[in-house]
Amino acid sequence: METKIFTNKILGEDYTVTTLKNGLKIYIYEKLQFNSLYAVYGTKYGSIDSTFNVNGKEYTVPDGIAHFLEHKLFESEDGDAFSKYAKTGAYANAFTSFDRTCYLFSATTNFDENLNILLDFVQNPYFTAETVKKEQGIIGQEIKMYEDSPSWRVMFNMLRAMYFNNPVKIDIAGTVESIAKIDDKILYDCYNTFYNPGNMFACIAGNIKTNDVLEKIQNSVKNKEPINLTRIYPNEPNGVVNDYTEQSLDVAIPLFCYGYKINLQNKVSLYDFIAMNAFLKILADDASPLYKRLTELKLINDEFDAEYFCGNSYSAVIFDGESFNPSQVAKEISREVESIIKNGVDSLLLESVKYDMYGQAVKRYNNVESIGHMLIDAAVFNFDYSNELEIIKNLTETDILNAAALLNKENSVLSVVNKKV
Amino acid sequence: MSNSYLKLANGVDGFFIKNDRFNTTVLSVNFYLPLKSETISAYALLPYVLTSCSNEYRDFSKLNFKLNMLYGADLVVSSNRVMDMQHVKIAISVINDEFTINKNSVINEAMDLLISLIFNPAVLNNSFFEDDVEREKRKLLENIAAEVNEKRVFAKNRMLEIMFENSPYGISKYGTEAGAKALTGQILYNAWQEMLKTAYVRVQVIGKQLPGGVFEQITKCFNNFNRENIVDYKNVTRLEKANNIKQVTEYFNVTQGKLVMGFSSEICGQNAYDLLLATDIFGGGPYSNLFTNVREKLSLCYYCSASAVRGKGFVMVQSGVEAENAEQAQTEILNQLESIKSGNISDFTFSASQKAISGALLAYNDNLGGIDQWYSANITQNEPISPEEAANIVNSITKQDVINAAKGINLNTVYRLMPKKEGE
Repeated sequence: METKIFTNKILGEDYTVTTLKNGLKIYIYEKLQFNSLYAVYGTKYGSIDSTFNVNGKEYTVPDGIAHFLEHKLFESEDGDAFSKYAKTGAYANAFTSFDRTCYLFSATTNFDENLNILLDFVQNPYFTAETVKKEQGIIGQEIKMYEDSPSWRVMFNMLRAMYFNNPVKIDIAGTVESIAKIDDKILYDCYNTFYNPGNMFACIAGNIKTNDVLEKIQNSVKNKEPINLTRIYPNEPNGVVNDYTEQSLDVAIPLFCYGYKINLQNKVSLYDFIAMNAFLKILADDASPLYKRLTELKLINDEFDAEYFCGNSYSAVIFDGESFNPSQVAKEISREVESIIKNGVDSLLLESVKYDMYGQAVKRYNNVESIGHMLIDAAVFNFDYSNELEIIKNLTETDILNAAALLNKENSVLSVVNKKV
Repeated sequence: MSNSYLKLANGVDGFFIKNDRFNTTVLSVNFYLPLKSETISAYALLPYVLTSCSNEYRDFSKLNFKLNMLYGADLVVSSNRVMDMQHVKIAISVINDEFTINKNSVINEAMDLLISLIFNPAVLNNSFFEDDVEREKRKLLENIAAEVNEKRVFAKNRMLEIMFENSPYGISKYGTEAGAKALTGQILYNAWQEMLKTAYVRVQVIGKQLPGGVFEQITKCFNNFNRENIVDYKNVTRLEKANNIKQVTEYFNVTQGKLVMGFSSEICGQNAYDLLLATDIFGGGPYSNLFTNVREKLSLCYYCSASAVRGKGFVMVQSGVEAENAEQAQTEILNQLESIKSGNISDFTFSASQKAISGALLAYNDNLGGIDQWYSANITQNEPISPEEAANIVNSITKQDVINAAKGINLNTVYRLMPKKEGE
């Protein structure tokens, strides 16, 4: 067991990261003045992990398994996890995204019992042909619900037009067809691969002592043989499949997602991540000249937003919102990107964005849930958040211009959900 | 945590809610005005105009630049229904001075900014500037139009509209399209004046310490207005038990249907925790009747949950259903309510609900936004009870209290949003 302490000198607080012998990483942030506690047990396994090599053997599995497993793990032979949490009063949930599956609870009492429930059900899968079949019906309905969601559709339509092969373009829950191919055996295979402690993490924030948590987890976590896991992503050509895609749904105002696919050679560091977010704020936040122009031209409303969307094997910058003229919005954005690259950054605006990001980062520590999610990102991306405020303070125009230079109009896609006529 | 209460002016209450676990201080100014169809639109728009620019910051980019410089101070703005009132919230949250790079005094600067946005807006000749009004009006009209985009929310709003037809409570929180279109700088100016003169106002500060002079400054601002006819904000018109159930079905281009049911409740009041518990057992957490039976056992819905609006005294059930299951889902939902009314509540479910609700209440003090909402939603008491006190009440409620509360819950309205059939 090895423990590292990460100290945020500005806030005067720290968190610890402990790696157990079996490879499990445990992130703990003490917030003793709070009533609540937020705990997550997660695996670096998401919807994009459909092809992989384990101990020398390659597998390709149907889309949607990570999410399917998330649903199924709540069940065990002696009842479902929800009914166990019901006895303690904790709030429990789980989520699956492109690169992770997380099981969580938040509670104000009974920490030991809640942690036992969490560790127990995630470590003890129980599926039968019958329960898998039933879940196919439930998830099928969930997939249909997303088919009716314009904001979900506009995003995935964009990803499909952006990526030739990368599985990030496939819905997290898979499709009705792909989940029909899932059976109990495939579920066990994927579980045994990705739910190995070496691929997992636990993140706990709130009213708890670090040593108590460590002792508890150490005593409850099963040791498994380490496995040699490599994720295999298909080769992704440069460029995009289509620069425009549209769909008609029952919407009153068209929705758009305008994205730039970014080809990255290296993994994104916390520094890169912060610099790109600072660039996006300078470019498109509500104090920017672009935001002002788009508002005055009546092209955007308060729904307009910009995001740096990145993970293992994919990276993109996405602008989304509602507009009666999405093509014009896209044109204005790309023009402004080029103008910043050519003319440099307004130094006063950069200064104000740094203050803004600094304050927002300080506010994150107001809440055990937001600290918990920060720890999840720390685990998945291997980020060290203790020096985040320093990074923000030291950002320069060069950092911003380096981030801006990653955006190439040739790699951009506009996705629109139009009103059905 | 200790709260202190101060009367700042006629109908203006000041609360300092001391909480030292946050890096942030919040100033939240809450106005309560009667919910009337003729003024809903004005008060849906006014807070957005007030927080988009001011006499000092004529342009929204300059205002947003200023907020950035105040370490990303956030303006929180909303217009919602609370009991029979329209609740306009204008708040700011800012990091504490000790966390700024040079230990600057950002708290007082942020408080001053919020006060000037409310009391010193950009106006001329008894009117807001038309270009400011038009800019925010367009966004409001787009919000109204976009309500149809997400069917889950749309279906809930349609049900409320039908259940509260002929009552302003049924109107969307954004108001109507016609109401928004008719707004002018002058109408908004009059609404602003009316708000400052007659609204019940609750000023809340949440933080480690009360920033010096903030309450005094607000008192001074209100003293410029002749505050005499303060609105009566404590009375609520409750929905009576319906003789005929309203049933409406509408068809849209969707693959999955929505079923929303509205119920009147004989128990009404912010502190009606028996109604809260009854609704939670009916369809709140995963231990509830709707989740365990209608969703899990019978697989009739992807989601199916109940919630109570205690201050107005009604209950809603929202669910996502396949068209062919809608009828059976409706029958089952009603069966589950009947089962609770007849006393069929297991010890397990009762205790699970009690623990979940009291736990959630105890977590309120860990969330700044939650604390602000808690105290601004509870206007029936001059000094609202704390979440901890509410948790104690919840723990003292008996099964019989829950059964009694459930007996007062009666179906009023059923709204179904269903997929169009081929060729329609």
